[in-house]
Order: sequence, then structure tokens, then C-alpha cells
Amino acid sequence: MMSDQKIPENIDIDMRGQVCPATLLVAMDKLNKHRDAIKKGLEELCIKTDNREAITTIPTTARNMGYSVNVTQMDSFYQIVVRNFTPESKK
Amino acid sequence: MITNSVFLMYLAGSLIGLLAGFLMHRSDYCVAGMFRDIFLFRNISMLRYLAIQVIATMVLFEICRTLGLLPLYPFPLLGFASAANIIGGFIFGVGMVMAGGCVVGTLYKMGAGSVISAVAFVGLIVGSAIYAELHPLWAPFVKATTFFQPAKTLPELLGINPVLVLSPVVAVSIIIFIKWHKENQIIRQSEAKGYIQPWKTAVAIALLGVLSYVLVGMPLGITTTYAKIAAMLETLLIPEHVGTVNFFQLTPLNVTHPATGALLQGGAGPQLDSIWAIQFPLIAGIVLGSTFSALLLGEFAIQYRVPLAQVFMALSGGLLLGVASRMAPACNVWHLMGGLPILALQSLLFILGLLPGAWVGSKIVACVILGTRQEKTKQ
Repeated sequence: MMSDQKIPENIDIDMRGQVCPATLLVAMDKLNKHRDAIKKGLEELCIKTDNREAITTIPTTARNMGYSVNVTQMDSFYQIVVRNFTPESKK
Repeated sequence: MITNSVFLMYLAGSLIGLLAGFLMHRSDYCVAGMFRDIFLFRNISMLRYLAIQVIATMVLFEICRTLGLLPLYPFPLLGFASAANIIGGFIFGVGMVMAGGCVVGTLYKMGAGSVISAVAFVGLIVGSAIYAELHPLWAPFVKATTFFQPAKTLPELLGINPVLVLSPVVAVSIIIFIKWHKENQIIRQSEAKGYIQPWKTAVAIALLGVLSYVLVGMPLGITTTYAKIAAMLETLLIPEHVGTVNFFQLTPLNVTHPATGALLQGGAGPQLDSIWAIQFPLIAGIVLGSTFSALLLGEFAIQYRVPLAQVFMALSGGLLLGVASRMAPACNVWHLMGGLPILALQSLLFILGLLPGAWVGSKIVACVILGTRQEKTKQ
């Protein structure tokens, strides 16, 4: 809606190598703290992780919270981007 | 069945371990996480698979027992219930959550390159060594608080055929599983590459556990070998001390396998005995199976840059796991995947301690992670 003219700012968290369940715990913490900005399209949460459980749980949880989620396998890890849900961001 | 051939025992153990490690990595089948998440995220989605595994094992064990394939029943090394099971279970619960994995989870995570889990593994070995020194203090407590002798399982305590106790448990569980299935709770959506549905891993590990019981006379267990590795390292470093540690002289496993006539004998001492032949191939197999899985997916990576607080937490968790595995005695895999399916009293008490332990662990883990996370915010 209002976010078309602005490039969203990235909240980058690198959780590679960290103990379980750090990825999910920190991601949820960030989503709660930055909820308004992400929902307005001003910010995006960008998570680097090698935790397979987090790659399973974060997309499901964030989608249930109404966000759009993209998972990409990078070199030896995964990048999960959580942003506000818009009709174009679907799929 | 194969207990008269050390070679076949090594072969069977390695293959079972390789397969288990591979599957656990694919499904991220973390038992510590299953218990932790009840408290941390109020989520039982992974615990469901453990329930499926336990009930599948229960059915398979009982079928094998009825067919006469389990002449050693209850299995060797399973002792009488005591207060030690609850206390050991509690400390184990705290430790496994802090370590980010139980005694098996630590292995498969380490196999995939986790430095945190490698640190926890070191803690496990050191913790086992510490227990060996404390054993003379702990053993009298275990003896003084032992109850329900001579019964080792609930059916024995009640004096009835196991089928009569196990059948209602299995029947109720199956009704619950069907309900989960109807609510679409069994299949998990995952974008992790090569993900294997955890219910498949649950059933596969149940089959591997039964295979182990039929082939070598015992279900899956590994922790005595952690103490053994500690004893071996001490033999290299302080050989004269090892001979004075009473715990390393004991042979808790001392039984003739009725089917093969083979003498299964062993303990935590530094010698290569039946315990080593049964457990070490399994340990090595789990680590390598997971490494293999991670390499195939291109996910194998060693990350050294981890928050120091997490390293200390994993080390402390490993130490607690090592000590608790001997206090309890035995680990979650042995009790959940071996003892619980035959309703062993020790295992029921172990779980009674494990749950509050996991709760305490989840509090600690949340504090450590959210207090010390490394974050980089950039444009």
C-alpha cells in the first residue's frame, strides 16, 4: 500500500552455528519487537540459519502470523526472509 | 542372535547407527527439543512423533517377545526402580536442553558440523569421568532408595501378563494417533531440502530398536560407552588412577545370551568388552550417518563463530548429561525407546524427573539466548 516508494530496511540476523532453539527464539523476538514496521513494509526480517528445524518452524509460524515468507538455500545454509503480506508477495 | 560374533555385532551396530543418524539429521529428530518445546513454545508437534515411536516399539517388542525372539526380557542392564531414576532424570532434563540435544541429538548435530554439539560431547565425556569419582557416594543412595523389588516392569509389579497392561495403552494411543491424523497434525510442511517426514523416522527408529534388541539382546543405548571413552582417555593420561576408581572395575553387564550361549560381559572400564561392541559402532554410525546426510545436501558446515555464552551453556549441559546418565542410570534413548515400551519402572520414574528438568532447562536456555544473541543490523 504505502510501502511502494520505500525500500524496506533489513533486520539481518545470522544464527548459523547457534544452539537450538536460538533461531526460532530470536526470530520470534524480532518479529514481536518490529511488528509494526514489518507490517507497514518498512522493514524485513532476514535470517541466516543452518538449523533444519527452524527452516520448518519459522515459515509456518510466520505465515500463521500473517507474514509472507521466502526460504532460499544458499551455500551451506538457508536464508529466510519474512516481510509483510501483500497480494503480490504471495507465493 | 548374532552375539557370538563380534564382527557381526560391529556390523549391525554400525548399520543401525548410520541409518539412525541419517534419518535424525533429515527430520531434525531432536528428543531434547521435543520436551523443551512443550515449555518454551507450548508446542507438542515433535513430541507426537516420539509418542508414535514409543507405541510402535511397544507393539513390536511385544510381538517379538510372544514369538520368543526376546529371551532376555526385561533386557540386561535394566535395574530396579529407585529415587535415583527421578533425580537422574531431572538433571538429565536440564542438561539435554542446555546442551541443545540429548546424548544422541548431540551426536547427529556434531556429525553435521555443529561446534556447539561437539563442545557438549566433550562435556558428556568429562561429566561421565566426574561421575566415576562420585560413584562411591551415589551408589549407597541408590541402594537405600530402591523399591518394588524384585519387579522391574509395571506388568511384573502387578503380577500379570504384559499383554494385559500394554493392550489398553496401545489401543488408547492409536485412537489419539487417528485423531491427530484427522486434524492433519502428522504431516509437517518443511522447506528444508531432503526433509524426511518425522513420523517415518519415528517408525524407522522403532524398527531399528527392535532389531537391536533381537540381534544383540538390548535396545538402543550408548551412554556407558561415554564413561568408557572417559576411562580410556584416563588410561592414556593417568593410568595408575584408573585402577583405583571402583566404578571402572564394575561389570554391570554379565549375562549369557540364551539363544547363542554367548557371554555378554562389560562395564564402564577401559577394556574392549561387549558394551563397547554393542554401543561404540552405534555412536560412530550416528555421527557418520548424519555427516553423510549433511554432505549430500550440501549443508555440512563448521561454524566457529558462536556466542561464548552458548558454548559455556552447551559445555555445562554436556557435563550435566554425562553425570546424570550414570546417576539415572542410562539416558533418554534407553529409557524412552527401550524401557518405556515395556513399561519399565525405572523408565517411568526417569520421565517423571525428565519433564520438570526440561522445564528448568527451557528457562535457562531462553535467558542465555535472548540475553546474548549476536545481531548485526545493517542497511
